[in-house]
Amino acid sequence: MFKSLADWINDRTGYRALADQAFNEPIPGGARWRYVFGSALATVFCMQAFTGLLLMTAYSPSSSTAWGSVFYISHVMWMGWFIRGMHHFTAQAMIVLLALHVLQVLLAGAYRRPREFNWWFGMALLFVTLGFSLTGYLLPWDQKGYWATKVATNIMGGAPVIGPSLQKVFVGGVDYGNQTVTRFYGIHVGLLPPLLVACLAAHIALVRRHGHTPPQKAPATPSPAWPEQVFMNLVASVGVLSVIILVVLAHGGANLDAPADPSNGDYPARPEWYFLSLFQFLKLFPGRLEAIGTMVIPGAIVLVMLLLPLLDRILPRSFAHFLACGFVFGVLGGAGFLTVQAIRDDWDDRPFLAAREKADQARLRAIALALDPGVGVPPEGAGYLLARDPLTQGRAVLEKRCLGCHVHDGKGLGTQSASDLARFGTRDWLRGMLENPGAGSYFKHAKGCDGMMEWKRTTKLKPNELDVVADFVAGFASIPDDVEPTEWLNQKEVAEHPGLKLFQNDCGKCHVIDGLSEGGLRDAPGLFAWGSPRWFARMIRKPDALDRYGYLETSNRMPAFGTDQVSDADLNMIIRYLKDDYLKPAAAPAQAR
Amino acid sequence: MLRRELLARLSAGLGAALSLPLLIPGIAYILSPLRLRREQGGFETLTRLSELEVGKPRLFFIQQERRDAWVKYPREPVGSVWLIRQPKGANPPVVALSSECPHLGCAISLKDESKGFICHCHASAFDLSGKPENAAPPRPMDTLEVALGNDADPEIRVKFERFRTQSEEKIPLV
Repeated sequence: MFKSLADWINDRTGYRALADQAFNEPIPGGARWRYVFGSALATVFCMQAFTGLLLMTAYSPSSSTAWGSVFYISHVMWMGWFIRGMHHFTAQAMIVLLALHVLQVLLAGAYRRPREFNWWFGMALLFVTLGFSLTGYLLPWDQKGYWATKVATNIMGGAPVIGPSLQKVFVGGVDYGNQTVTRFYGIHVGLLPPLLVACLAAHIALVRRHGHTPPQKAPATPSPAWPEQVFMNLVASVGVLSVIILVVLAHGGANLDAPADPSNGDYPARPEWYFLSLFQFLKLFPGRLEAIGTMVIPGAIVLVMLLLPLLDRILPRSFAHFLACGFVFGVLGGAGFLTVQAIRDDWDDRPFLAAREKADQARLRAIALALDPGVGVPPEGAGYLLARDPLTQGRAVLEKRCLGCHVHDGKGLGTQSASDLARFGTRDWLRGMLENPGAGSYFKHAKGCDGMMEWKRTTKLKPNELDVVADFVAGFASIPDDVEPTEWLNQKEVAEHPGLKLFQNDCGKCHVIDGLSEGGLRDAPGLFAWGSPRWFARMIRKPDALDRYGYLETSNRMPAFGTDQVSDADLNMIIRYLKDDYLKPAAAPAQAR
Repeated sequence: MLRRELLARLSAGLGAALSLPLLIPGIAYILSPLRLRREQGGFETLTRLSELEVGKPRLFFIQQERRDAWVKYPREPVGSVWLIRQPKGANPPVVALSSECPHLGCAISLKDESKGFICHCHASAFDLSGKPENAAPPRPMDTLEVALGNDADPEIRVKFERFRTQSEEKIPLV
């Protein structure tokens, strides 16, 4: 039944002859392990095509969506971490196999007459593969891809005459953004694959035409590839696959850095390991000599590689072979040395390690935020993921704008001349302040703010009464933005609060609240809605207002921060950070998988 | 010959070892959506009873927070329902009908002069109680759970759900 069906199909298609052609290629001198590299590379390419297609079904190429979609692949989709991990690490395996393949071909002398074109197609495949690496790296639109691509395209921009225009065309403009992603994506999935297939087809056709290059002492009679050579090829491919799987498992998939942030000042950009030698090489040519390191020498090496098959024409055959091998091993040795040097340089570079540590924290935070059901990636794009995170952005702005004078949990960045902002606006802060307003976390360092200290010396309120006052004032923080003092005072729980009278009679002698207290004894800030977002906002925008600290001498006042210094969005971030209104970091950070 | 046979069999095994480690995760990856569960929303307040006239359907938007793969959207319209106030004394006092056609999911609109509902895709027709008036729809329009407050002019709250199309049974999508 099955056989007759197969016969029927073969009759119409001739597939058996095709399979015979594919599998029974004559191998000169018999099957050998040294012939496995080409087929291992073909296997690895098929793996890339397969995983690449899968990734295409979930990837979204734009600067606002790329990171989110890659995050979704790696952290939400079933086996997404594995598929993306395979694509990422197989790309690296491809580079290693290419290098091994080139070396094998070189040692066997298989690049020489009549196989010159085979060598050139091989070189073309090498450059197509590097093109895949360079374009694929950017696609997640994370910090790593963004900065590495910026460096690579800027090197391109340094080329004489056409450099700047070339860079502008590749990047899709002067700034990196949506057009960069779509262009790189188009090249990666649309342009390079058919180019690779075409070069590969030509390469394989030429291998079939000329055959493998057997060692000199091999028997003269060829033997068919099936089953022995096919078996060896499969063993090699399975071996390569196993190593890649192990690497993917060991890494838990491919890394995804925090979303690209062009404003980030200290991201430690490094290229992928196989470009590290070029990265290090560049350092040897500072200033105006740089083009020698980025263009002239690499270009010359490429040119020599392309011309290797022609060396035979001017030099004796064995001497040319020796020179060629010497040249390539020299280049590889130099590259290896530079790579090790680059890694060692970073190894004990403290600022680099600190920056990497910071980048890792941002990465884990971004992933935790994106995973959280209540947060997720904002519709405007992953670029706003950390910029709308009070723990990241609020803390950063607080450090930059506030901690020159204030401290947070005792830690400041300058000479303290204002209160501790940790837990400011909470009952804790308030009760502590009512106990000892002259303490370091309260008004000790704030010049001119001795009103509370004076009150403490004269007040007759007992500790349990201070508790009640603290309860009452701590409730101010939850007064909604649209509630006026009289509306608030008419609420039953406010009007009947035991702290109301105590506040009115004691605090109200200085602190004014419309309809409740008139102040007058000493100047003091207004406390209505103290600790609420609007109180914070006014304190930051207009600290010199009469209902804030306008009564202090100018030199003792907090400077006002307008929208030019703290945007409305950042103001909101500071307030939410101080009010503890953000996703708390989990005890165990989110890991890939 | 034995050696050839052995190598051929081993090669077949190696071929499987080469393809399955990618094929199986690849299939799981493509099937990812089967693992997802739709978030079930609670009751949404749409309007007050006094805003509705007896027997006169009105369309209301359902506003919900929404997660579309990796993106978290704030509250925004995610669907719509027809609310029809029933004559006094009827239970329930308000009927909520999903505007999604049970046939193939197009939007159901009101016929001219509000005499019933029609879906403009394949002409599914329903009367004002949601009962089919022709053979196009497989079942009546989907009623949604309604909850009313206790005050004199109660708030109308509706639990928004979506159901499988083309089925005679009303099966919630999860």
